Amino acid sequence: MTSVWIMLVKKSRAILGFAAISIVAASCGTNAPQDTWQPKGPNSKIIDDLQRPVFAVAGIIGLIVAVAVIYTLIKYRDRGQPIPEQTHGKPALEITLTIIPALILAVVAVFTFGAIFKLAKTDDTEMIINVTGQQWWWEYDYPTQNEFGITQPIISSGQLVMPVGTKVLLRETSRDVIHSYWIPALNGKRDAVPGRVQTLRLEADAPGIYAGQCTEFCGLSHANMRMEAVALSKADFAKWVANQQAAYVAPAKDSLAQQGEEVFLNQCVRCHQVNGLMRADGTPAIAAPDENVWSGSAPNLTHLMSRNTFAGASFDLLSKQCRDEVWNAPSDVVGTKYLAGVTEECLNQKDLRSWLRNAPAMLPMYANATQLKATGGKYRGMPYLALTEDDISKLVAYLLTLK
Amino acid sequence: MFSTGFKYFLGVTVLSIAALIMSLFVLDQVAIAGVAISMLIVVTALLAGIAVVTRDGQTTTSTPDASNELASQSMWPLVTSIGVVLLALGLVTSSIVFFTGVIVLLAALAEWMIQSWSERASKDKNYNAAARKRVLNPIEFPVLAALGLGVVIYSFSRIMLTVNKTTGATLFIVFGALVLIAGILFAVKPELKRSLVVAICVFGAVGIFTAGVISATSGVREELVAAKAESHELPECGAERSEHFDKEATGTLSLRSSVSATIELLDGKLTAQVVGFNKPQNTVTVRRSTPTSLIFRNLDAKEYRLVAELGTRTLVEPEGATEKNLVCTQLTAQGSEQLLLLDIAKSPKAGTSYSLTVPGVEGQSIELVVP
Repeated sequence: MTSVWIMLVKKSRAILGFAAISIVAASCGTNAPQDTWQPKGPNSKIIDDLQRPVFAVAGIIGLIVAVAVIYTLIKYRDRGQPIPEQTHGKPALEITLTIIPALILAVVAVFTFGAIFKLAKTDDTEMIINVTGQQWWWEYDYPTQNEFGITQPIISSGQLVMPVGTKVLLRETSRDVIHSYWIPALNGKRDAVPGRVQTLRLEADAPGIYAGQCTEFCGLSHANMRMEAVALSKADFAKWVANQQAAYVAPAKDSLAQQGEEVFLNQCVRCHQVNGLMRADGTPAIAAPDENVWSGSAPNLTHLMSRNTFAGASFDLLSKQCRDEVWNAPSDVVGTKYLAGVTEECLNQKDLRSWLRNAPAMLPMYANATQLKATGGKYRGMPYLALTEDDISKLVAYLLTLK
Repeated sequence: MFSTGFKYFLGVTVLSIAALIMSLFVLDQVAIAGVAISMLIVVTALLAGIAVVTRDGQTTTSTPDASNELASQSMWPLVTSIGVVLLALGLVTSSIVFFTGVIVLLAALAEWMIQSWSERASKDKNYNAAARKRVLNPIEFPVLAALGLGVVIYSFSRIMLTVNKTTGATLFIVFGALVLIAGILFAVKPELKRSLVVAICVFGAVGIFTAGVISATSGVREELVAAKAESHELPECGAERSEHFDKEATGTLSLRSSVSATIELLDGKLTAQVVGFNKPQNTVTVRRSTPTSLIFRNLDAKEYRLVAELGTRTLVEPEGATEKNLVCTQLTAQGSEQLLLLDIAKSPKAGTSYSLTVPGVEGQSIELVVP
């Protein structure tokens, strides 16, 4: 029995040691785009200025408590000695130990409330972007704002594009369940709640791409519900706006892309809108995601190839090498590289083709037609479409034209 | 050879196995039911095993001898037959009758079974009665209490629907005060006679029940009848008035906290205060398939309503016919507000647009943009 106990103690020491080394090693990671300790905008700096001193104070207090506990455990461990005299009540000590934490918390509260009020301000907003969450992607729509050249609404998904040095106000809501929007480098979290409009300030100091993640459990693919904020210089942002408002350009006649447009009209347009796309009879092709999708919406694919991601932001449209070139670009050229969009050479054909071949196999979704009683036959996520390889090639060629 | 307990649990196990097999054929989704019934089978089989091994807990010889007397008269066969009749009637009339029959039948069978068992438990009638109480009282008391409370609450609700609003509020205060007084009385006077406490409770319950029956037979108050008959669709969205609507709708916290824009009418001019924008807007962006709340604030002297013109919609009959798709608020007096809830699934067709207008106010509209 004793030998078993000794073995367990030795093993638990090894496990604890391994866990401690893992934690220390993890903290040394350099490629951590969602690091909460690297603020890239004034809003996240407000949080950072608060969390650093609080972390330091809490760390010191935690250390003191840990040392005191360990010292007590060792010094007064059971050696068979008689139980010492038991006393109760040390008013002076108890009052001191109550007042000190209360004072510390009061000081922290003062600064915390100050930060909360600063982050809740909306009267200095310069730009509005509507953000709508649904399983498992984010939609961004830009209301008309002439001062930024937005003369007609822009609608996009996956990547939030914003100008640097501009106070952007996100107006968040959700179409299905509660989600939470969080770009750690730019601000804290804000829940997107169905039926409510909540605001979140964002501002980036320098051009770059900032990663985020839905932080409210929202169903099967919650862990895949990524988001990216792309901050562009004001000149680059103007170019992006101009491109987003450009008219639809139909694919060249008799090209593979034109055949892809026909496949799109037969299959994809039931849910996905491409602004300006016309049917053969000359009428505009209007998507009806409200008839097929539980949330009532599917990503608008107009100018799809101006984004670097697809399926919300779950997958990259760019191949790894091209994506790294954009993400690791210096801030003065990141805009140019981003605005280049997705070329045929840089397209992540593998993931895009796999997605078109069988989307539910790539992402956990409620897309099995035989199990949709609860949603009245409506899908949550993209279903299996039984496309042939030929159709997939045509579609890829067509999607590549949506610059 | 086999003890009574063993036979009982064996029977339940066999029935559960049959239920499991039936559920496999009858139910589409058997996951939860299957697990539940399987657990029941495991538990009852285990109990059957324990019962046969322990001879039903090794009953001591001090237990009174088994009774050979005939069973006493019982009302439960009659109640059971009523349950069966209700069940059969329910199959051809309504589900409420059917489920009432099921409940009556199950309750009567349980009571009858326990009564039969307890009366033959021994020759000692007191012992038998105690055995019955021990089994059934923990079920009977909560169920009867719930039923009694349900009857009182339902009766009270009938009274409140019959009397006018002022009387209703007064009655509510009086009733609450009486309950409070009775509670205080019972608490501070624990030595009160039990019969007096019972009399007060029964008197109160019977009084409310009687008043409830009278109220139910005389019907709900007129304004509720009128409100029910009134169309809430307001298809024309014109100048028609309605007196029976929730005038405090915009005062609810949930709506106030999620308003996308406030549409204001002042001096014949319509403007939109959109959340996030610091200046009045002449467009409001509404997301597709997303419930969007707008508040209409009328600051002009006359009564007006806000109308959302959302293109046209196709009618089922006559086939192919269309009509204007309008959503509107109630007529809103000066200084008042009304809420307009929009849920728009699609962008407007090419060459058309959605807008907010106020009938009677010319040349003023706010574009509804649905990207």
